[in-house]
Amino acid sequence: MRFWLLDRICSFEAGKKLTAVKNVSLAEEYLADHFPEFPVLPGVFMLEAATQAGVWLVRLTENYQHSIITLQEARAVKYADFVTPGHSLTMTVEQTGEDDRHVKLKFQGEVEGRLSVSGRLVLERYNLADENPSQAGLDKRMIEYQRLTQDLLTRDMETIA
Amino acid sequence: MATEDEIFDKVREALVDALGVDDDEVTAEATLQGDLDAESIDFLDIVFRLEKAFDIKIERGELFPEDILTDTEFVQDGKVNEAGIAKLKERMPFADLAKFEAEPIVQNLGQQLTVKDMCNFVAHKLAA
Amino acid sequence: MRWFWIDRFTEFVCGSHATAVKGVSLSEDHMHEHMVGYPIMPNSLVTEGMAQAGGLLVSEQYGFGELVVLGKLAKAKFHSCVRNGETLTYHVKVDSVRESGAAVTATAHVGERLHAEALLFFARLGEETDPLDGARLFRPRDLQHWLSLVGVFEVGVKADGSPMQESDYPLEENVASS
Repeated sequence: MRFWLLDRICSFEAGKKLTAVKNVSLAEEYLADHFPEFPVLPGVFMLEAATQAGVWLVRLTENYQHSIITLQEARAVKYADFVTPGHSLTMTVEQTGEDDRHVKLKFQGEVEGRLSVSGRLVLERYNLADENPSQAGLDKRMIEYQRLTQDLLTRDMETIA
Repeated sequence: MATEDEIFDKVREALVDALGVDDDEVTAEATLQGDLDAESIDFLDIVFRLEKAFDIKIERGELFPEDILTDTEFVQDGKVNEAGIAKLKERMPFADLAKFEAEPIVQNLGQQLTVKDMCNFVAHKLAA
Repeated sequence: MRWFWIDRFTEFVCGSHATAVKGVSLSEDHMHEHMVGYPIMPNSLVTEGMAQAGGLLVSEQYGFGELVVLGKLAKAKFHSCVRNGETLTYHVKVDSVRESGAAVTATAHVGERLHAEALLFFARLGEETDPLDGARLFRPRDLQHWLSLVGVFEVGVKADGSPMQESDYPLEENVASS
């Protein structure tokens, strides 16, 4: 499968908040294993959806300053309800703090207004060239690609000033 | 022997870590379910952290006597009867049940549990 | 993508701890999508590896016959990047088993390098709290298949050190109605 845990970014407020949607479909292969008798979006994919929403909040806010943004820490991630095929998970991330290398966020995922997941996470951001200057070209190519994918996610995005 | 302040600090740390809340949200009066949004899975987490922090063993129903609340001898029409209240007081000497007594609806007991009750529970365990 | 995030158990001690390994390969689709140009294993899936190893260890404590799901990821911390060609080793330990659920602490290493640490809580969905209305996660046969793929009964031992027996659990051959 493709590793896209968001289908659409709905709204974006620089440095503050981003909301995105993940649709869950029985067409997704992994649902046959998770679980054979009860297909539901795996809990770690809710975490991945929150991470990807956070990554986009950072990228759009700082205009692609870093080629790598990864999940460094997750805390108090609580699964309140299952997300089953045919439903949409709406993920909202809010920035709660940052320093040069880290961005702290809290997140909440809902299905039709009902809470499915909530928690906090810390993203780490950097460029490969920070450690190894010869990688600067790769950083640049990665960021170019990331910019191209933005359009696929933001067609219907509302930017809040 | 841990002082009241030491107990509160460790309980607060456990709640901050388990619930992802901020330090200043954890006041003595804050209710676990109402103010701090603790859910049933969190109680597993909280109990686990308290056991580690204070080197104690917390058995099922000790902090929250769910067995009484599901016993028809003590509960009628969703309310805890007098015998049930007496039993709760015996099992929960660490909690202030005055408010619950005034309106002993089963669900209220969990919702009224405060950080202070939690600290008293730990002090009670440490003294035992 | 299939949903198998441990390749094999190398150790499985009922009620105590287990060790499992996962090889990270460029043949996995998601490696090409996560950070395009610089493949790394997504940390969410490292978490799933720890959750699958820990979840099976917990599930054994409830006789492999009940619904056990990840209820809370209390903490997960990641210290490095896991790249293609590396092998993750997951160590999981059951810290407490209660009526309502269980706590598992887990680590992920690449060789000697500590990559991840986590504290996970599994919820046991008993009859009163069962939101699935009597549904189940696996047919006994499917669960048996998974346990066999990852080698639980090949390396598994009971708390007293004697080998685990498949026939002790309600899996396909032992369940008439499946």
